[in-house]
Amino acid sequence: MKIDLENLLVTGIFVALLLLVVLVPNAANQTVHEGGNGIFLGVVAVILIIYIIGLFAGKDDIQKTTDIFLIMGVLLLAWEIFIGKLSLLDPFLFPSPEKVFAVFAEDYNIMISGLISSFAILMSGYILAVVVAVPLALLIGWRKRAFDVAYPIAKAVSPIPPTVYLPYAIVLLPTFSSASVFVIFIGAFWPLFVGTVHGVFNIDRRILNSARTLGLKERVMLSKIVLPAALPSVFSGATIALILSFITLTVAEMIAATSGLGWYIEYQHQYANYDKVIAGMILMGATVVVVMWFFDRIQKHCLRWQSVEGP
Amino acid sequence: MARIGLKDIIVSYGKNGSRTVALDNVNLDVSDGQFVSLIGPSGCGKSTLLDLVAGLRKPTNGYVEVDGFEINGPGPDRGVVFQDYSLFPWMSALENLRFAIEHSQEKTTKEQCLAKAGRYLELVGLSKFSDKYPGTLSGGMRQRLAIARMFAMNPEMFLMDEPFGALDSLNRAFMQDLLTHLWSRDKERKTVLFVTHDVDEAILLSDKVVVMTPTPGRIKEVVDVPFPRPRRRQNLFTSQDYIILRSKLLSRFSEEMQEDLAKQENELITWSI
Repeated sequence: MKIDLENLLVTGIFVALLLLVVLVPNAANQTVHEGGNGIFLGVVAVILIIYIIGLFAGKDDIQKTTDIFLIMGVLLLAWEIFIGKLSLLDPFLFPSPEKVFAVFAEDYNIMISGLISSFAILMSGYILAVVVAVPLALLIGWRKRAFDVAYPIAKAVSPIPPTVYLPYAIVLLPTFSSASVFVIFIGAFWPLFVGTVHGVFNIDRRILNSARTLGLKERVMLSKIVLPAALPSVFSGATIALILSFITLTVAEMIAATSGLGWYIEYQHQYANYDKVIAGMILMGATVVVVMWFFDRIQKHCLRWQSVEGP
Repeated sequence: MARIGLKDIIVSYGKNGSRTVALDNVNLDVSDGQFVSLIGPSGCGKSTLLDLVAGLRKPTNGYVEVDGFEINGPGPDRGVVFQDYSLFPWMSALENLRFAIEHSQEKTTKEQCLAKAGRYLELVGLSKFSDKYPGTLSGGMRQRLAIARMFAMNPEMFLMDEPFGALDSLNRAFMQDLLTHLWSRDKERKTVLFVTHDVDEAILLSDKVVVMTPTPGRIKEVVDVPFPRPRRRQNLFTSQDYIILRSKLLSRFSEEMQEDLAKQENELITWSI
């Protein structure tokens, strides 16, 4: 383990942040009730501990981690000093970090149930899209005639924002949840579809020829050769689809839901509880990071055969 | 073991205006258990010819028959090795073999396939690399694996399209020996069609060498290679007969090229004056 100046700087920033929270009182209009600083203090402490453990574990990517933690630390410190201590901006629109993080203690019930309902809708819509779009696109990409029909249609329809369908989905489908699932399905469908078709179309002829010489049945050809060969492109479509699903979900919930993360933010926004709006945004950001991390893991596993130093 | 017959083959592509003829009136017979090389400069249609026999491409005119039956598309009775890209990069070395065995020999059980894949991996000395992906193997190892796959599939014939073209000379010699060794082991030797642009390789490996010329692709001559097997490089390369055969092939091979070169030289000389 080698500790350089930047490592010390990052550690220093978080220690300073802790000391500031504990020792220096906030501006009068930015204070929270007795003991309300605890959550923010805890979050900063946990970040600091994670960083120090990472430092001592001597991981290879510590440089990258350090850079990210540095940016995070500077932002939190600036927030704490300029908003929390000095209250330079309108305290109503710009609450202190202590205020924002105190929301998690206050609203954790509603947040957790919102998280669960959002997550269920997101995953249903997304997985449905994967299950339908990928096999369909494989078949269509594989058959020239079907491709000639489907691709212009896909090009025309795919840029339409999926939320446009929401009113129709709400009218036609029994519940709000099913309408949201449908809209996420539509939103995730096109990037997956286009990514997969693109992947099938760009498979190396030589690999296909090699597969053809084995005399495979079409079903085997599609599942064992065409799908894995197109997989890198399927995954780039799937990444876009996932990000789009998050946006669609939030917008859909803001329009018509009665629970969920998007709904929570929108609801608090109407009551001008900006500390809760920001807390909701932080929770949403954290959720996205966690989901993308798992997605990355799955992708790395499925594409582990792609060598960096390969031919 | 199989006889290959190419009858009145013409392959052309493009629209009528700018029609390119890749193969023009090609007739060829390869008998059971023969090792036949196709040599010629690039553009002579030797790979196209191999694709025709593999069933990857259909002739514009004429037909290809195997054992007297016209072929209709590719099949596991014809094992193919290309210069590269024969293997599937998402399957490990072992999976590549197992997959090919499983789909070429329908009556084999899963366990038998796996055992056979392991045996062939050992045969080409790649047991240690069984769970490595082709992308992490060297070019030589990949070709060894492709050849193991071809032998494991146990087809009627082997079709090879410059299989050692991308290897350095040492690896190349090693692969030539491995191929001859595996091929000679069988009591009933497989029929082989082998595309190369290396005259020495063609002589070393083949019973017959087919010399082709470009634009349009035609068979110029079929030359017998009379040397007894097993052939040893040091004896072969120094023998008088070998040198005569080699220069004969090379002159056929390069007549056209020499004409082109002479023309180009003349032009250059005219310019410089």
